[in-house]
Amino acid sequence: METYILLKLIWAVLLGVLLTGLAVMVGMDMGVGTLLRFVGRNDAERRAALNAIGPHWDGNQVWFILGGGAIFAAFPTLYATSFSTFYVVMILLLFSMILRPVAFEYRSKVDARRWRDAWDWGFLISGALPMIVFGAAIGNILEGVAFHFSWDGQYYQDQSFIWYLLNPFAVLCGLMSLALSLYQGGTMLMMRTEMPIAARARSVAMAGGLLAALLFAIGGVWISYLPGFLFAQAVDPAMPATPLGGPQVIMAVGAWLTNFHIFPMLWIVPGLGFFGMIAGSLALAARRPALGWWLGALAWAGTIFTVGCAMFPFLMPSVTAPSQSLTVWNASGSAYNLTWMLAFSLVFVPVVIIYTGWAFRIMRGRVKTAGMANDDHSY
Amino acid sequence: MKTLIRFLALAGVLALALLLAVVAGDYGPWYFAWLVGTTMIILIAAAGAVLLEAQASASERDVDF
Amino acid sequence: MIDATVVELSRMQFALTALYHFLFVPLTLGMTVMLAAMETVYFITGKPIYKEMTQFWGKLFGINFAIGVATGLTMEFEFGTNWSMYSHFVGDVFGTPLAIEGLMAFFLESTFVGLMFFGWDRLSRPAHLAVTYLVALGSNLSALWILVANGFMQDPVGAHFDPDTMRMEFSSFTDLVFSEDAQAKFVHTSIAGFVCAAMFIMGISAYYLLRRQHREFAARSFRMAALVGLVASLAVITLGDALGRADYLLQAPKIAAMEGIWETTKPPYEPWKIVALPDDAAQRDVFSFGLPYVLTPLVTHSFDKPIPGILALENDVKPRIVRGIGAVLALHAYATTKDKAALAAFRQNENDMGYGLLAQRFAPDQDLAKITEADLPKVLDLTARETIPNVFVEFWSFRIMVAFGFAFLAVFAFGAYYSLKNQLERHPFLLRLTTWSIPLPVLATEFGWITAENGRQPWTVFGWLPTFQSASSHALGYMLFSLTGFALLYSSFIAAELYLMFKFARLGPQGRPGHTPTQPGPALAGAPGYADKPWQ
Repeated sequence: METYILLKLIWAVLLGVLLTGLAVMVGMDMGVGTLLRFVGRNDAERRAALNAIGPHWDGNQVWFILGGGAIFAAFPTLYATSFSTFYVVMILLLFSMILRPVAFEYRSKVDARRWRDAWDWGFLISGALPMIVFGAAIGNILEGVAFHFSWDGQYYQDQSFIWYLLNPFAVLCGLMSLALSLYQGGTMLMMRTEMPIAARARSVAMAGGLLAALLFAIGGVWISYLPGFLFAQAVDPAMPATPLGGPQVIMAVGAWLTNFHIFPMLWIVPGLGFFGMIAGSLALAARRPALGWWLGALAWAGTIFTVGCAMFPFLMPSVTAPSQSLTVWNASGSAYNLTWMLAFSLVFVPVVIIYTGWAFRIMRGRVKTAGMANDDHSY
Repeated sequence: MKTLIRFLALAGVLALALLLAVVAGDYGPWYFAWLVGTTMIILIAAAGAVLLEAQASASERDVDF
Repeated sequence: MIDATVVELSRMQFALTALYHFLFVPLTLGMTVMLAAMETVYFITGKPIYKEMTQFWGKLFGINFAIGVATGLTMEFEFGTNWSMYSHFVGDVFGTPLAIEGLMAFFLESTFVGLMFFGWDRLSRPAHLAVTYLVALGSNLSALWILVANGFMQDPVGAHFDPDTMRMEFSSFTDLVFSEDAQAKFVHTSIAGFVCAAMFIMGISAYYLLRRQHREFAARSFRMAALVGLVASLAVITLGDALGRADYLLQAPKIAAMEGIWETTKPPYEPWKIVALPDDAAQRDVFSFGLPYVLTPLVTHSFDKPIPGILALENDVKPRIVRGIGAVLALHAYATTKDKAALAAFRQNENDMGYGLLAQRFAPDQDLAKITEADLPKVLDLTARETIPNVFVEFWSFRIMVAFGFAFLAVFAFGAYYSLKNQLERHPFLLRLTTWSIPLPVLATEFGWITAENGRQPWTVFGWLPTFQSASSHALGYMLFSLTGFALLYSSFIAAELYLMFKFARLGPQGRPGHTPTQPGPALAGAPGYADKPWQ
């Protein structure tokens, strides 16, 4: 049975890695999309900005798809419940996510001002909205969601999320996620575009990094006044994966800091996040975007793993039926499935990272703004 | 030396192909058929194009298509 | 209580988004392979025209690919947003191929598609060829894993139901991947994609040939596409037969509905109905015309095995429903009390549990415990009727797909024949027919999906989980919001896609309208490989 616990733990960590990969890679492209109208003052500049991520956005977007698939397989009940709970925002997220690939491919294929301008608005919406929704969803999960299960595992929503989705704390999380995506996108533009696009991107990115650090600090203080969730009974981590008939769970103010009190070492995680945001902005000030990119990735990892450390082992707590809260222990796949998935990940994740790195290396260098107007192979 | 490395690399690829063929042939006959069939389709199409080049240069004049 | 309207709307949304997504998928599957073939010829012969072919068809592929990717996102998340019970019930098995698809196939395809478009000047010729092959491999591997997942819905192998977690749990990876249904369906679907792409390329090339534009370019594209299409359409028909046989063994109601068989006949008499008007309400044909003694050998591959008819299937399933109701009641008792006796009672009938769940919607208040002796026959009748998919839809979507399939074979055969003889331009009718046929293979694949998935009803997981129980319990307003949004967004996408496709197809390979053959344009004369022929 111990291997099952280990597998659940590994997949909880991998879930964090996956969300970090998604946030860094997709967030970067979203940031570029949001910034497009502001860093590009004419069509050639905008095209140059788009082509900075042109060869990569599609591969990056797979992090999002993989995120969906991996949560589906590794934490089926979480997949089933969370996406249904946040239905309308998930649908809005999907709308903007499906707008983006089309915008990339179609924007520059017609040489008409209104056509391109319309798609540029599309980039703004499909860049900013998903990042805000992504952050707000994590904020809401921290606060707990209203759902319960019936005896056969059918999930029921107890309160329409519309009434609580955009509460102040969730808005803060949403803005922080947007700020980090602007930072990451701006950094990428600094590396891959020429002046003056790179200069404009730099100022936004620095502001984004500092704003994220500020919001992260406020959020950290705020969370100590918010009710968190705690097990009131002993838990068997090897329990069968069902939210039904689990141990008692109680809500208590400041409970999300319990893990940090028990293991003070964990403070390193938010510390690294902070370090990433502040040092990243300083690196950009010193015109070191490559270093800044990696520090931005560290900032994302620090943020997401901070949330993970605070909530562990909870994944999506329920305010209306706390004992049916989804946790790493009760929402995971079977041991057999987690083993197979782990085997595939061990083989393919390194392969994916190697060829993604190779693709970035092949396409390295700045996109020339001047040649944009009559380049047929570009976006 | 270079020839030897090439030879070994080729041998490795062939061994992998054989292994794949044996496993796919045993457990997934249709998967095996897909591998062989798709390769064949690509080769037939390529052969058709090469044949067209041959026809075009043999006819030595403006061909009708 | 499950709201039937919300279930119907969820089904409608899934059907629309899936069918829409699949307008673009087959072209992606086939175009990547066609691009690989063209670039192979470029690699071997070094003639620039093949590079230009790869780039031009690659551009049209890109227009199509973008929407394919975009609408595929919806599919990956729609199980969670709209089918929460389904996702919970089978996520342990069904999620795995989806995750592997992302990891192993979609990453490959998407990372290298960027290099394929942007890397012409940055990669060596062999490296670019390898990239194109990896894109083709990636897109088809993608289809493989998705169809492995779909195969599980059709024939749930490699998993068992666990009463402690109330879901199907994964028990054999190899059984899942090498499932009969998944294998045949993958090859059928992938090759159908080749047919779509072949017809697309052939049709546009025929359009150029008719107008005597880009003749060098069009003749080569036509030749390659016709040969791919000919072999592929033969293969699609072969695999269709294999799938039919798999359905005969695994999903009797689907075959009965596809062929419109109401009553079992003595083998090998069973007629193959060419036309019929099945009446689902009365469970008989209004009229039908068929060839006797054809269907038995066609479906069963024998002369002495019967094909069970719908009425017989409905009658035979009733004992399973009774046992299934017992299983669900025992499971409920076990879930609330963890009583060993209840578990034993469940174990006795666990393989019929799905039929108990199916009966739920016909029980008073959707509660099986409230069924009285007097209700039982009625519940059994209704549930038994429910096990049969809509015959009219099944019968006709199947027939349309098959008719198209054979028509394509003929078009490709003539196309390949005249292309090999270099006599295409003497047959304008064939060229016109090919151009008009461009959308038809895609249409045929859509009917194929309707056949496969309508025929699976009333189940999401055949024999285990009814569609009715699978949906998320959303408010009606949510569904109206998302349906309206999808309708608006998707219709504007298809408008933009068609506009760009027509625009770039008309523009042609040089990015400007074509020239007449008597006066080669400057772009032609200047390019080596065009001008290296003495007859130019």
